[in-house]
Amino acid sequence: MDNIPSTEPVEFMLNVGPQHPATHGVLRLLIDVDGERISQVETHIGYLHRGTEKLCEGETFSQIISLFDRLDYVANFNMEMSYVMAVEKILGLDVPIRAEYIRVVTCELNRIASHLLFYGTLGLDIGAMTPVMYAFREREALQAYFESVSGARMMHNFFRVGGVKEDLPEGFLESLQSYLPKLKQAVQECDQLLTLNDIFLERTKGVGILEKVDAVDFAVSGPNLRASGVEHDIRRTEPYSIYPNLKFSIPTGTNGDSWDRYWVRMQEIQESIFIIEQCIDQIEPGPISGRTRTVIRPPKGEAYVRTESPRGDFGVYLVTEENKEQPYRIKMRSPSFCSLMALETMLQGEYLADAVTILGTLDFIMGEVDR
Amino acid sequence: MSTLLITITQVSILLAFIMVMVLILTYLERKVLARIQMRMGPMRTGPYGILQSLADMMKLLAKEDIRPHGSDRMLFYLAPLFVFVPSFLIWITIPFTRNIVVENLELGLFYIVAVSTVSIVGMVLAGWASGGKYSILGSARSAAQLISYELPLVFVIAGVGILAQSFNLITIVNQQSSIPAIVYQPLGFTIFFVAGLAEVGRIPFDIPHAESEVVGGPFVEYSGIRWSIFFLAEYANTLAIATLSVLLFLGGWSGPLTEHFEWLQPIWLILKVSAILFLIFWIRATLPRFRIDQLMQFAWKILLPLSFVYIMVNATVPFVETVITSNAASNQLTGIAQIILGACQILILFLVAFAISKRRKKYLTHLHQGVPA
Amino acid sequence: MISIFRGLITTLKTTFRRPVTVQYPSTHLPLTPRYMGFPVLTWDFKIQEPYCTGCLVCARVCPTDVITVSMKDNPKAANEESHRRKIVNDFKLDISNCILCGLCVEFCNFDAIIMSDFHEEGSLTRVEQDLPLVTLLDMGKEMQDKGKFTPPPPKKRPPAKAKKDEPATDADPEKQES
Repeated sequence: MDNIPSTEPVEFMLNVGPQHPATHGVLRLLIDVDGERISQVETHIGYLHRGTEKLCEGETFSQIISLFDRLDYVANFNMEMSYVMAVEKILGLDVPIRAEYIRVVTCELNRIASHLLFYGTLGLDIGAMTPVMYAFREREALQAYFESVSGARMMHNFFRVGGVKEDLPEGFLESLQSYLPKLKQAVQECDQLLTLNDIFLERTKGVGILEKVDAVDFAVSGPNLRASGVEHDIRRTEPYSIYPNLKFSIPTGTNGDSWDRYWVRMQEIQESIFIIEQCIDQIEPGPISGRTRTVIRPPKGEAYVRTESPRGDFGVYLVTEENKEQPYRIKMRSPSFCSLMALETMLQGEYLADAVTILGTLDFIMGEVDR
Repeated sequence: MSTLLITITQVSILLAFIMVMVLILTYLERKVLARIQMRMGPMRTGPYGILQSLADMMKLLAKEDIRPHGSDRMLFYLAPLFVFVPSFLIWITIPFTRNIVVENLELGLFYIVAVSTVSIVGMVLAGWASGGKYSILGSARSAAQLISYELPLVFVIAGVGILAQSFNLITIVNQQSSIPAIVYQPLGFTIFFVAGLAEVGRIPFDIPHAESEVVGGPFVEYSGIRWSIFFLAEYANTLAIATLSVLLFLGGWSGPLTEHFEWLQPIWLILKVSAILFLIFWIRATLPRFRIDQLMQFAWKILLPLSFVYIMVNATVPFVETVITSNAASNQLTGIAQIILGACQILILFLVAFAISKRRKKYLTHLHQGVPA
Repeated sequence: MISIFRGLITTLKTTFRRPVTVQYPSTHLPLTPRYMGFPVLTWDFKIQEPYCTGCLVCARVCPTDVITVSMKDNPKAANEESHRRKIVNDFKLDISNCILCGLCVEFCNFDAIIMSDFHEEGSLTRVEQDLPLVTLLDMGKEMQDKGKFTPPPPKKRPPAKAKKDEPATDADPEKQES
C-alpha cells in the first residue's frame, strides 16, 4: 500500500467469491471498487461445471432424468419436465391427462418452493434474519409433499418419458388442498415482514434497474424479464402440457428494479397456488403412464422444448440417432446464465451493498449456469 | 497500597461480571432469536443448552491463533485490546444500584462518551492491520458509521445533562425516582436508542460487519481468542447501551417498593435492561440492514438535526420555567414543565415519523396497481 | 414507519408459536411410505434364498455404476427346491456414490431390490461404504419385517428380458409402468 499515491482516488479490485455468502453458490466476481462504488465487474463462472451435457451423451434416456434433477437443484421437477417433454416430442408420445396434471401440480409446487428460497436468501442478503426461517418452514412442508410423491426431497427422478413414475399417493390432493390456505397465510406473513418495509424499500427500490431493452437484448427471461415490464411467459406464449386449460395471470413489473423482481416472484407464488387449486379441482382418475417402455430408442430426430422454470425460459435441445439408447447431443439453455450476462451492466456504478441485493434478486442457480 | 488492592479487586470483579454477563447475553440472544423464528436455539449442551456459550468460549480459546501473511504483526495483536479496553472502561462508572459502583465519577457521562470513542481506533486498526481488502472496507465503514453516530449520542447525553444539571449517573437516576425520564423525554430516548444501536453495530446498522457484503468487516482475518475479544467488546457495548438507556431514561433501579426494600433495586434494573435487550434482539430479528449511504443520510440529515432540536427544547423549557416561576434554586422540573416538555418532544417525534411516511407514500405511487396495501 | 411496526408485530406473533424444530438425532421426522433410502436386496423366505438372480439389469441401468453383481448356478434349482436356475453370487453396492434415483428398483424384473428406509449409513472409511451381499440382504430382511415389501405373485418362469435387436416402435410396450 506504500506505492499508492495519496492524491489519486484509491481503486482496488475486490474478489467476491467463489466462496462468498452473497454469491449463492460458486459464482466469482472481480469487482473494481472505488470506495463503495463499483466501477467495473468481471464475472467468472464454471466452478460448478460437471459436464452434464457431455455426460448425457453416455447415458440412456432413462438415466438422464436423474442428471437433469441436478441442474437447477431447487426446481428439480421443472428441469425433469423439460427433458421428458423433449424426448416425448421426438417419440411423438401422448401423455395421459392425469400424468400431465400430476406434472403441473408438482412443477408449480416446486416453483413455490424455489421462490420461497429466493425470498429467504434475499432477506439474508440484505441483512434480515427471519425471512429465511419463515420461508424454509414452508419449503420444508412442500418438500415433505415432494417426498410423499416421489420418495425424495430434492432429487426426485419422478417424471418418466410418457408419464410419471407413480400415481399420487392416497389422500395427497386432499392434504394439499387443506395445506394451501396455510401456505397462503404464511406467504402473507412473509409479505408483511419484508415487502413494504421501509428499509427494504430503500434497499431495493431503484436498485439494479434492468431496462426493458437491455433485458430483451440479454435474453433475460422469467421473472427477471417480467419485472422489466415484458409480459412474456412460456406457459402463456407457447403453452405446453395442460397450461392452456388453466387460468392464471402474469405479474409484471414496471421499473425493472430489484423490488420489482422481488414483487413479481411473490406474486407468482400466489399465481402458482391458484394454478394448483385449479388442478386439484380438474384432476380426474386415469392412467398416469402412456405407451412407454423401459428401453427407449427414439427415431432419428431433433427437438427443442422450452418450459417456464422458476428462473425463466429453460430450453432443452435434443438430437437423437437412429436405434440408439443414448442421445446424440443435449444442449440446455439455462435462464440463469442469461441473467448473469446482464449482471455487468446492472452492477455498473452501484454500491457494493447493492451488488448483493442485485445478485439476490436475479435468483440464479449456479448448478444451472455451469451445468 | 490498600486502596490500590481494593481497586484491583473491584476491577477484576467487574471484569468477571462483564464476562459472565456477555456469556449469558449471547445465550439469551440466540434463544430469543430462535423463538422469534420458531426455532429452539441451542439445545444440546446442558439442559436447554444453557452451557452453549461456555462451550463456544472453550472452542474459541482452543482454536489456533492465525495471523495472515502480510498483516502488521504488532497492530494486528493490539487491535482487539483497543476495542475491548474502552468498552470495559465504560463500566467503571456505571452504577448498578445507589451504592454499587466502582467509581462514582462526578462527570460520569462525559467520561463514558470520551472513553467509548477510543474503540473506533481499534476497529480501524484491526481492519488495516489484517491487510485484507474486506477488512479495509469494513474498517472504513465502521469508522464512518461510529463517528457519525457518536454526534447524536453526545448531543442526547448533553441534553440529559442540561435537564439534570449533572453528569453524574447516580444523580440522574435519583431525579427519576418518581417518574422515569422517558415520559418527558421520549425524543431523547428514541435518538439515544437508535444512535446506540448504530454505535454498537447491530441490525439495522450492522454495516461494518455485514456478513453478506464484507463477510465480517474488520474481523474477517481474526480467529480464536482474538476474534472472541472483539465479540466480547461488542456484547459488552450492547449491554452498556442498554444499561445506559435504562439509567438515563427509564429510571434505572427505581421502581415500586424500592424505597422500602433495598434489594429490589438491582432486580428492577435487570428487568428494565432485559426489556431493552429484548427490544434490540427483536429489532435484529425483524429489520433488514441499511446501505452505507442511507446510514449516513439517516445520521446527518435526520438524527443530528433532531438531536439539535432536542437540546434546544431541553434547554428552553427549564429556562422559561425558571423565568416564570423565578425559582432558580431547584434544578428539578415541575410537573407542568415536564408535561410541556413531553408534549413538545412527542410532537416532534410525530412530525418526523409523518415526514418519513410521506417518503414512503412517494414510493407507493411508483408501485403497481395490484399492490397489497 | 408503519410497515416497520407491522413487521415487528409479525415477528412478535411468531415468537409465541410452537417451534417447528425437530431435535434431529434424538427424534426423526416420519418417513413417507415412498421414501427412497439406499437400495437393499430382498429375501425369499419361502425358499430361503435371495430373489436376486444376478441378471445385471440393475448394474447396467445404474447412472453412477455403483452396483457390482456376479451370478452363479443355483444349487437349489438342481434338486427342484427353487425355480431360479441362476442365483446371485456376489453383490456389492457402493453407497458413497449411490444417488438414490431408484432406477435399479424400477428396472428389476424379479422385485429383488427395493428402496429401503436406511439413510444414515455414514462411515469413517470408504471400505465400509461398499455394502456386501450379506449386509444388503440383512437390511432387506429388516425392511421386509417392517412390511415395506410385498412379495411378487409366484411365477412359473421369470419374464423374458428385453429383446435387443428389434427396432423401437411405440406400439409394443415391453413393460407397462403402473
